[in-house]
Amino acid sequence: MRTLLKTIAWIAVALLGAAALAKIALDRGEKLNSTWFVVAGVCCYLVAYRLYSAFISAKLLALDDTRATPAERHDDGRDFVPTNKWVLFGHHFAAIAGPGPLVGPTLAAQFGYLPGTLWLIAGAAFAGCVQDFIILFCSIRRDGKSLGEMAREEVSRRGGFIAQLAVLAILVILLGVVALVVVNALKSSPWATFTLAMTIPIAILLGVYLRYFRPGRVLEASFIGVALVLFAVVAGQWVADAPSLAKVFTLGGVTLAFSLMAYGFAASALPVWLLLAPRDYLSAFIKAGAIFSLAAGILVVRPDVLMPPLTRFIDGSGPVFAGKIFPFCFITIACGAISGFHSLISSGTTPKMILREGHARFIGYGAMLLESFVGVMAMVAACAMPPGVYFAINSPASIVGSTPEAASTTISGWGYPLAAQTMTSLAHSVGEQTLLNRAGGAPSLAVGMAQIFSSTIGGERLLSIWYHFAIMFEALFILTVLDAGTRVGRFMIQELGGRVWKPFARTGWMPGILVSSGVIVGAWGYFLYQGVVDPLGGINSLWPLFGISNQLLAAVALVVATTILMKMGRLRWIWVTLLPMVWLVIITMTASYQKIFSANPRIGFLSYANALATQIAAGKIPADKLADTQRLIFNQRLDAGVTAALALMILVLIVEALFQWFNLLTRRREHTLHEVPYVQTRWAEGFTGTAHGDD
Amino acid sequence: MPRVLTKSSWLIRQCWRGLRDWCGDSAYERYIRATRENGPTYSVLSPKDFYVDQLNRRYSRPNRCC
Repeated sequence: MRTLLKTIAWIAVALLGAAALAKIALDRGEKLNSTWFVVAGVCCYLVAYRLYSAFISAKLLALDDTRATPAERHDDGRDFVPTNKWVLFGHHFAAIAGPGPLVGPTLAAQFGYLPGTLWLIAGAAFAGCVQDFIILFCSIRRDGKSLGEMAREEVSRRGGFIAQLAVLAILVILLGVVALVVVNALKSSPWATFTLAMTIPIAILLGVYLRYFRPGRVLEASFIGVALVLFAVVAGQWVADAPSLAKVFTLGGVTLAFSLMAYGFAASALPVWLLLAPRDYLSAFIKAGAIFSLAAGILVVRPDVLMPPLTRFIDGSGPVFAGKIFPFCFITIACGAISGFHSLISSGTTPKMILREGHARFIGYGAMLLESFVGVMAMVAACAMPPGVYFAINSPASIVGSTPEAASTTISGWGYPLAAQTMTSLAHSVGEQTLLNRAGGAPSLAVGMAQIFSSTIGGERLLSIWYHFAIMFEALFILTVLDAGTRVGRFMIQELGGRVWKPFARTGWMPGILVSSGVIVGAWGYFLYQGVVDPLGGINSLWPLFGISNQLLAAVALVVATTILMKMGRLRWIWVTLLPMVWLVIITMTASYQKIFSANPRIGFLSYANALATQIAAGKIPADKLADTQRLIFNQRLDAGVTAALALMILVLIVEALFQWFNLLTRRREHTLHEVPYVQTRWAEGFTGTAHGDD
Repeated sequence: MPRVLTKSSWLIRQCWRGLRDWCGDSAYERYIRATRENGPTYSVLSPKDFYVDQLNRRYSRPNRCC
């Protein structure tokens, strides 16, 4: 009887999810309520978790709760720490959820709400969660080894090298593009710039407190820090209202770019306890609070979605970034659907802390579902504002003009009515001078969040506070990615340099620290700078590059997973990882080809460079712009080269994998599975970790 | 009523413990517990040294995603 009731309940959930999806996909009425997005997402995630992840656990991986995990075998209280599954879920989620699931869907909203929403839900269920879950499982069975180590052992040495290169490439491009998002959010905004600048002394204060006065008392220090940051958000308004102070904090794109590079260098070279770690604590608390507040706000306010399901820009002529739905929607939304970077977390800290193998399903698959839900919330926030406003905020000046009147004429001409006064009064009500041409997704998401929050608490009166809270929240955790990523990049460069000259690999050697920090900051700083000076807005070139590199890493992870599953003899179910891998290879190769060779100068790097070269040859470029144009041509050719290198890595990896799989299937080579031997757990069945020692 | 109170207080204690574990507030206590259980195979670090050591380990590998 109980089983029957359960079955009926699950059928009801599935039917409800299908009905909500059908409503989202087929509704062509004037307005669609955002509740449908929440219902569709939650029901699909529940069904995917209940059925698909259970199938993977049982048939594909055969998770074994009697097997001791690395956390139990090596429990040292430092790297290997047995952790309660809910706590580890929180850890893992905080690590995988960065700005990607917020910014990607916001940018992809230019196609309309439908393609991005469907990709977020289906991509997560069938690709992203599968990757995170299986890589976590593989790492648990190998004592918490990293993706690179597993690629080297299970695929080949070349596979491991490609994984290492892919991680470095993704780091450089990721840091450049997220820094650009921050620059575009802070440009000419003294309020936002002051608030973010204040987080640096606040973080240093916390760092000193945690290092010298109350070592390790993270909770109390974080409460103090969060209170100070919230005060800085309010104080930002006073700064913006005081002309002399506002002048100091009103910075242009190039100045902000160099400030971020200086910050990244300092965070990488200074002791980790002084700046990087305390900022991460602040960011984690504010991130968790803001994401849950956004979800709660959407549930309470239930805003109507004003963006159509499909816009005219599905033809590839989008102002935010150029390119058709296929492949660019799938490249633009990486985090939230599938992100290769997650495989580094799934083969990093999490496998060393997991209590039981069975928890891998909840943590690996479940946390990615939650991140996908965050992506759906961001899509709702972006689509809840009038489309005209969305395009005015996210389009570069070269396309819509730099005045409210010009933007209004252009955007209204596209069929998305926008009065010039609307942008002026919106900017005024959020405490900004202008909201035009803020490509990058952060400002439009902040406007969407502020409108949702102010409908719940404070009304119009608090709109400006909420807007700057949202900007601070986005910029704060983007900076956390920036400084943590720069530091990791520094270690990778020191390791690579150490192969040539050994002393360079010593992580405590100051000249090595300074040189490697300079190299990594110089690398991502160059991409940032070219994005800032790009007349097309930077995001148009850099976000697809980031998407391609991220999906490349996902392809690496799925190749490793597929190879391990083959060695485990799970050929019957190999399609679980093989199909998402094939899909990723198709979209990354198509996107790479179009970004390099498309004849449309807004898509193809080479055709844009050629168009500019033709203009120079025809004497159409004024003498004072000649040097800038030459640099632009060089940047476009450089981007084409980087894209080609990424595509080449994918091709080499695929050929390498096919060769390995052929040998495995034809038994030409003896295959070895590098799992650690089975050791039975000493912990009782009901042991959950909560009573571990300190109860 | 007392049962409800007991349950509530148990729940609050669990949430508090979960929060401390999540943010790293209880990391040193866990470390001391691990050294006690596994025997003194290495010298036990002071709270200050453990804090810095733990941060250096954590931030030397990718731990924050995009």
